[in-house]
Amino acid sequence: MTPKLVKLNVNGRAHHTALAPNTTLLHALRDLGYTDVKSGCEKGDCGACGVIVNGAVVNSCLLLAWLADNQEIITVAGLGAAAKPHPLQQAFVDFGAAQCGFCTPGMIMSAKALLDEYPHPTDEQMREALSGNLCRCTGYTRIFEAVQNAAHEITSD
Amino acid sequence: MNYQILGNNYQRKDGIGKVTGSETYTSDVILPRMWHARVLRSPYAHARIISIDQTAAKALGAVVLTYADVPHLKYNERIVSIPPHLFRDRTVLADKARHVGEAVAAVAAPTEQLAEKALRALKIEWEILPHYTDPADAQSENAEPIHDAVLLNGEMKPIENNVAVARTVNVGNVDEGFEHADFIFEREYLTSRIYHAQMETKSCVCDPASDGSITVYPTTQSIHNTRQLLGEIFNIPLHKVNVKRVAIGGTFGSSIQMNSIIPICVALALKAKHPVKLVSTREEDMYDHVRYQTKLKLKIGVTRDGKITAGHIQALADVGGHNIQAYALLSVLAGWSASLYKFPHLRFEGKAVYTNKTPSCAMQGFGNPQATFAMESLTDEIAHELELDPIEFKLKNYVGLGGTFWGQGPSVQSIIRSDGVPQLLHDGAQKIGWRARPKAGTQTGRYRHGIGMARGFHTSGAGAPKPGEVIDYSGAFIKINEDGTVDVVHAMMDHGGGTLEAIAKIVAEELGVPIENVGISPADTLTTVYDVVTHATRGVYAGGGAAHKAALKVKQQIFEYASRVLELQADSLVIEPDYELRQGVIYCPNFPERRITLGALAKQLQINSWGTMAAVESLRQVNCPPAFVTYFIDLTVDTETGHVTTNRAVIGSDCGTVVNPAMAIGQLEGGLSKGVGYALVEDNQWDAQTGQLTSKGFWIDGKTPAISEAPFNENIITHFSDTYEPSGPFGAKGIGEAATNPCAAAYANALYNALGIRFTELPITAEKILRALNAEENREARVEMREMEAMAVMQAAE
Ligand code: FES
Ligand code: FES
Repeated sequence: MTPKLVKLNVNGRAHHTALAPNTTLLHALRDLGYTDVKSGCEKGDCGACGVIVNGAVVNSCLLLAWLADNQEIITVAGLGAAAKPHPLQQAFVDFGAAQCGFCTPGMIMSAKALLDEYPHPTDEQMREALSGNLCRCTGYTRIFEAVQNAAHEITSD
Repeated sequence: MNYQILGNNYQRKDGIGKVTGSETYTSDVILPRMWHARVLRSPYAHARIISIDQTAAKALGAVVLTYADVPHLKYNERIVSIPPHLFRDRTVLADKARHVGEAVAAVAAPTEQLAEKALRALKIEWEILPHYTDPADAQSENAEPIHDAVLLNGEMKPIENNVAVARTVNVGNVDEGFEHADFIFEREYLTSRIYHAQMETKSCVCDPASDGSITVYPTTQSIHNTRQLLGEIFNIPLHKVNVKRVAIGGTFGSSIQMNSIIPICVALALKAKHPVKLVSTREEDMYDHVRYQTKLKLKIGVTRDGKITAGHIQALADVGGHNIQAYALLSVLAGWSASLYKFPHLRFEGKAVYTNKTPSCAMQGFGNPQATFAMESLTDEIAHELELDPIEFKLKNYVGLGGTFWGQGPSVQSIIRSDGVPQLLHDGAQKIGWRARPKAGTQTGRYRHGIGMARGFHTSGAGAPKPGEVIDYSGAFIKINEDGTVDVVHAMMDHGGGTLEAIAKIVAEELGVPIENVGISPADTLTTVYDVVTHATRGVYAGGGAAHKAALKVKQQIFEYASRVLELQADSLVIEPDYELRQGVIYCPNFPERRITLGALAKQLQINSWGTMAAVESLRQVNCPPAFVTYFIDLTVDTETGHVTTNRAVIGSDCGTVVNPAMAIGQLEGGLSKGVGYALVEDNQWDAQTGQLTSKGFWIDGKTPAISEAPFNENIITHFSDTYEPSGPFGAKGIGEAATNPCAAAYANALYNALGIRFTELPITAEKILRALNAEENREARVEMREMEAMAVMQAAE
């Protein structure tokens, strides 16, 4: 398993890193310090590891890091920070959509990809887009509301 | 009651960290020179270890531990029960595997890859023993013992027929009670062994220091209990064991106990002399804990006019491979079942049996969802049989205000001093349209509609007037900083429900300062006073109570020092938040011009070298009041697919004063989501042949509800009662676990209303609904056939 030098562009920063062929993008990112990407199952079941790669949300536990070579990757920390949160992040706080918060990074990334594609999503589109992200705390109601309100916020600007 | 801060919604203090990904959970802790651990787990349900060959693993540079290398002290991971009731049956690594996934060896190495390699290099020889997945088989005469003996209060107690523990409770004389009954109802209810499915798998980081002390970052609901157990197991004095509070990715009861991976991680770190991180895989986690499966046999006697005369409850609980808290479970099963009804005579017989499956532990409600499913289903059935409105029947036999509440069982009784049940039932019935519900079993056609209700509760904590069988108290340390802000140092965990936010609010309310000025300090066991554990819906009531007690002390100091500065009597002073100054302001209402901000006062104290205003207090609450919840469910069943759609859910909550309205609603909605899962879909099945999970560790096979299964927002209606709990901080009691307890029964009762069929086994899946409908059709067809035959015979006779 010879490592190969891979270039990962994460949140606008380029990282050159030598990775074995079986390293998942999830592990590569966390090893680089992007611990905002969460690991919930490493089997594609939960969506906690969601990041956006070239505009599409993927479960980073299912993507080999080599396949992300030279691609543009966005994690939840890349959307905004405490000083200037993204409207989705702000809405998740305002509507109590994050309880334990462990599903939140992946959930927000799925929502981000959805709103990028459909700025005014229907309820059905929202349910479908978020159906790969498990949340055990909230019962999803607050999440639903947060995404709806963020959509409104983003499009009214 | 008018509050400055309570009852208002504020942004969570930890919210922004969570949404931007900067919150630190155990698996995010990275330390210099840190090694990584992996655990060797048994593929067999019951097997003795003959030998473990470590040569190849060690040659890779890994440290390796087996049973021979770890302390042999038997421990129980949940030191909430007092020693006479603490059944200790496990060691850091097991001498024999008692369930698939039991940890028997562990490795640590400088990288994760190397650790994995070393793990695979371990060669282990097993002697396979007969295993039991069913408690009935485990109890059979010649069954292989799963445990020969366990440690109880310093002595080895032999285990017979794999019965971990049995308990009987008798009140009055049940035989006499049943003699007075006009009708006797008997039913058996079976619940499922579902998985907690918390998002973060159990993890631990341990950092050993050269002076023999350790710093531990675990997933846990109790940093202090984790510390004490580690100190005991590894024989380290407690001042050298520091357990840090890190954010936790959900628990739902799965981390009340010190998780079994924590001492494994500590043992590895001590041996490797490096910090070690151990993160469970999802599959490992699924083999670590499940909700207790129970079979409850209920027998209730009633008079013709609907008065309960006696009850007999028989409980059988599946413990799994280790007894975490079965003794306490039997107590609460008795308590939860008996709590809401007046039983003049009652008998409870409970038995908890070892099997070769994943150990069972508390899961949101600890036995309460199980007991409430049974009780609220049977009382609904009795009401129907007696042709009474279930609400009327329930209230007729209800304990009510001033009554003795069984709560967590015979030794944890309390008096009901606040009761929102009648109000919640009244309001809920109105909101759902109770009176207009269909008559059970009268519908035909593909889609059938039903309405059902159930009541439930959870006690706020386990601290009753008597000392009891479990430990229950909290502590808090509060100090005023030199700018008038406040540090709250509290050991309690916040699982995400907002416990610490509520504590901050209680302190802000009492001290009269803006909420922004109250900080929750990072916590560890070196700097906090003892708190037992965040469980049993005790966070706000007990944890908040301790903080309130300390705040009252600090407030006294504030007034004493302010009286010196302002030259006014201390007793004449008040403190209130001033939102322009962003400070608490102390003044005398008669001389409002003489005032000082808390910040100026604290600074003056410092300049005068008078000292710091601070207090530390411990508090044992003594009433553990029930937090009540009522559920009304309106659903539609598709009789062709068995699919159930929730049209409306009306959830009422009596949590006393509502401290955090938005978070309280969030808890109720979360409770519904988990409740629906438990009622209709979630299951964890074991292959009896292999003793393995049939899901093989795939989470979605356990059917944790996703957003696609969640009822639509606009269909969930929550409401609160106007109650004030005299024993709680500002009249507050708990909410968390109560939120889910009655859900399954409400669904079962609504299904009865729609279909005229009673379901007594969870989950009530689409398959089970179809099967029951088919059986019903066949039965009807048979009856029709018989009638036709009879008719034909009669006609022939004519
Ligand atoms: S960690 Fe990737 S889907 Fe669960
Ligand atoms: S907030 Fe805890 S899992 Fe979603």
